[in-house]
Amino acid sequence: MLWMANTRTNEEWLEELRASRAKQEAAIADLRNLLLRTVLFFFSHNLRDFERLARDEILQLAEDCAQDALIAVMNHLSDFRGDSKFTTWVYKFGVNIALMAARRERWRGVSLDQLPFGVDGALSEWVLRDKSAELTSDLYVMQSEIREMIREVIEQDLTAKQRRVLILMVFNEVPMDEVARQLDTNRNAIYKMLHDARRKLKNRLQARGFDIGEILAIFSVQR
Amino acid sequence: MQRENFENWLKNIYETQEEEISCTECFDLVSQFVELETSGQDAAAKMPDVKQHLKQCPACRTEYETLRDLRRLEEEGGIPSLGDLQDLIP
Repeated sequence: MLWMANTRTNEEWLEELRASRAKQEAAIADLRNLLLRTVLFFFSHNLRDFERLARDEILQLAEDCAQDALIAVMNHLSDFRGDSKFTTWVYKFGVNIALMAARRERWRGVSLDQLPFGVDGALSEWVLRDKSAELTSDLYVMQSEIREMIREVIEQDLTAKQRRVLILMVFNEVPMDEVARQLDTNRNAIYKMLHDARRKLKNRLQARGFDIGEILAIFSVQR
Repeated sequence: MQRENFENWLKNIYETQEEEISCTECFDLVSQFVELETSGQDAAAKMPDVKQHLKQCPACRTEYETLRDLRRLEEEGGIPSLGDLQDLIP
């Protein structure tokens, strides 16, 4: 069954959310319903994040997220520029808060220090898990050379923080929001560190004369 | 590390730009990006910085994909009712 309360125009949403009591209450109730459905939509597509929670706990978490998203929307109402439908703009607050809550649940109780790749940048055990046949000796040499170069840049050219974030996210595949939470920082700071790391790696690989086509061909030729 | 992930990471390295927008800037613009797509316009050409960020940032990309799916559902008649969505939670 579909729910069709999104019949307000952008202007009607804004007017009613800013109106006096009775009108505002009705608009806020509809907005909260919309956000709760947004959160549940995300949760229902990411159920593996909630394997340790009972159904009631998941539904309660969705209620809490919807409430947080409602507060965020109301606090940012003046930021809405009208360059999308109001409901599209609203959804993103619900999705953002739902995503952070879902990843937090999946990683609850997991210490980053227990992950396979150490936070000190030790990549000595780094291997590519691969079902392909044995590499020819030429390819093996080329792949080894590229991986060695990447390892050098990671271990020598990156700052300790960049290295730590890169290894957590790229090698241990920890979600960005969980890295940010455990390192007590935010998404922007994590993205900046990864961006700086990517720039250094790109410059170093290009300085050695490799182009992307060549490198990808070297690594994907076995498939 | 899975080979596919490694290849994707290599692509990301080579597609790295000197300047890239932040996650906050992407969040601010992504609803407009989705709206352009929904109306059949070339959002990537009109907002290349957003497209670039979405390629590089897994968290923002997940949010964008969900936002796009919700917008499509809305276009097709509406997102599911509260009861239907609650029934999807085991």
